[in-house]
Amino acid sequence: MSKTNTYKTPFVILILVLLCCFFANISLGSVSIPFKTIFESLIGTTDNYIIQNYRLPKAFTAILVGSGLGISGLLMQTLFRNPLAGPFVLGITSGASLGVALVILGAGIFGGVLSALLISKWTIVIAASLGSFLVLLAVLIVSSRVRDTMAILIIGLMFGSITAAVVSVLSYFSSAEQLQQYIFWGFGSLGNLSWNELAIFFIIYCFGILLSIVSIKGLNTLLLGENYAKSLGLNIKQSRLIIILATSLLAGTITAFAGPIAFIGLAIPHVTRQIFNTSNHKILVPAVFLFGAIVMLICDSIAQLPTSDYTLPINAITSLIGAPVVIWLLVRKRKMVF
Amino acid sequence: MPQMLQNKTFTSLLFCSILFFISCKKEVKNIPKISKQDVVNTAFKYAEGFTITHNENFKILNIKNPWPKAEKEYKYALVPKNIASKITLNKEEFDGIITIPIEKIVVTSTTHIPALELLNAEETLIGFPGTDYVSSEKTRARIEHQEIRELGKNEGINTEVLLQLQPEVVIGFGIDGNNKTFETIKKAGIPVIYNGDWVEKTPLAKAEWIKFFGVLYNKGKEADAIFNQIEKDYLEAKKIASKVKKQPTVLSGAMHKDVWYLPNGTSPEAQILKDANVNYLWSKTSGTGSLALSFEAVFDKAKDADLWLSPSYYNSLNALEKANQHYTKFDAFTNKNIYSFANTTGKTGGVLYYELGTTRPDLVLKDVIKICHPELLQNYTPYFFKALK
Repeated sequence: MSKTNTYKTPFVILILVLLCCFFANISLGSVSIPFKTIFESLIGTTDNYIIQNYRLPKAFTAILVGSGLGISGLLMQTLFRNPLAGPFVLGITSGASLGVALVILGAGIFGGVLSALLISKWTIVIAASLGSFLVLLAVLIVSSRVRDTMAILIIGLMFGSITAAVVSVLSYFSSAEQLQQYIFWGFGSLGNLSWNELAIFFIIYCFGILLSIVSIKGLNTLLLGENYAKSLGLNIKQSRLIIILATSLLAGTITAFAGPIAFIGLAIPHVTRQIFNTSNHKILVPAVFLFGAIVMLICDSIAQLPTSDYTLPINAITSLIGAPVVIWLLVRKRKMVF
Repeated sequence: MPQMLQNKTFTSLLFCSILFFISCKKEVKNIPKISKQDVVNTAFKYAEGFTITHNENFKILNIKNPWPKAEKEYKYALVPKNIASKITLNKEEFDGIITIPIEKIVVTSTTHIPALELLNAEETLIGFPGTDYVSSEKTRARIEHQEIRELGKNEGINTEVLLQLQPEVVIGFGIDGNNKTFETIKKAGIPVIYNGDWVEKTPLAKAEWIKFFGVLYNKGKEADAIFNQIEKDYLEAKKIASKVKKQPTVLSGAMHKDVWYLPNGTSPEAQILKDANVNYLWSKTSGTGSLALSFEAVFDKAKDADLWLSPSYYNSLNALEKANQHYTKFDAFTNKNIYSFANTTGKTGGVLYYELGTTRPDLVLKDVIKICHPELLQNYTPYFFKALK
């Protein structure tokens, strides 16, 4: 672990890149705002609504989403020893989707009271969190009975198909307007949070990150294989629990607040491993944090199509970047650091 | 190759006609003549999506644009009931052969219902998918008396119930050429006519589709008269508005997540705003479908807009505020100058504007004029639009 020092330079560079991306993200947008105004509204001497209440929260959301998804992807890939695992393998997105679908689409079936609540953003956030939490709880209960980690992976995928089926039945009975709302939720979005919402998002996110940091040692031991880890005195059950909890907190809240964001969680850990050429989580966790944040900021800047009035759905951009990375991974598999 | 094809067609036509002569020798005198002189095209002033051709004995309804960029035209033969038994048409040539006037019809969009009512033909409607969306009192009463069957929700029409109803025609609409339900209905022998009113580019062109229903009921003249009145009222209102010098600035639409959707400058909605002599801030844009803009682009341009029309499905200021804090920063919000049609609904929640707005653009235009230039149209109360509270 004495090697940690050799990574100082790349980390300094990454932090600088992150800062640059952050400022670029804030400076670029459909409306061109002079640099002086941007600077002044950042330090608070001028009030600019677009900068202070739209671009800044959006940039922070991008950082939280990118880093959170990256880290939870990393945790899942290590836990399941599977390079194609991502933050959503445990059925977390499926659970969140089911919660949201029940609120938006179910209003048509259950009627009245629910549809009155429908428009509130908080209802959707709560439904998504509850949905992912319940699915997670089911996975946890199952995982305490099943010893094999791979079985948990498959069970997570099964939960995914069950929820997908329920969602399709619900959508069959919903009105076009409700379907539209549900589909828009599925696009994902970063620019939809106010400062208040961002604050709550941040608090839950911090818990997730703390748990991830706690689990670093366990993750490194898990790399050696579950049996070997056990012989080294690692409490497998406990580590597994912490890792799953961290992932669900991160991925669950991110999905609740920003919608299901594709590919970042899968692609970022791989890119980081390739570049840092290590599988030591002491390096990987902070590096994935920085990379995730940087990539998400860049994706968002592209999605805003600077200088044009139009925007693209963030999911389209992340997938456009993510899919080639996965292909590249499969092609290069022999050399992959994992 | 074309020469050969022509020869082939000619031979087969010859063969067919010989067969025909042999088989219905007795009725030879009644065979309809389709000579070129008899063909009369009805010209439409605005609508481009359909044509009606009058032959001596029957009419041909051509649907040119059932959906945007349709690859083929749909051709229907409309045969008067009294001569239907005496006439033989080549089934291959038409997408449907329908006897008129129609006595049993199924329509699939609420926009079709006002036309039936204006033509006094609402009694012929026997089924509708999603009856809850229907707002018109006349038709609602018939639904409550179970004279109109529910055919299921969304585009998924309940085929069994429909086949049991045996309507003479189904008026469908399609987003593109793939509609399996309608294909099944066609295979069962019930003709489906695609209505393309929604593809038209101007409000009056959409309204002119009442003539499409007119011909189905043999009520061409009535349809002409109704449309002429609507056109006259529309143009008069436009003229009144054109004299006003001050154009209020107008914002439209709302956000889904952080993307703002609003009508482009060439859309029928923008056309109405233009005819109402207001300054729609995106009137210079073009394209198909809605504009999808970032919040900041809209905020930058429309923060000071005088009025905000049709903020999506939101039906109160509170709902807007709950959905997104950003909405409250617009002048139109603080001055409570937001108008929407979302609160004018039928008994079961169907939005009246979606049902009637297509057929009655004159009312929509007058609504907008009254809201934007309150000094005009003194005795008029807006029909669809109400201020959000």
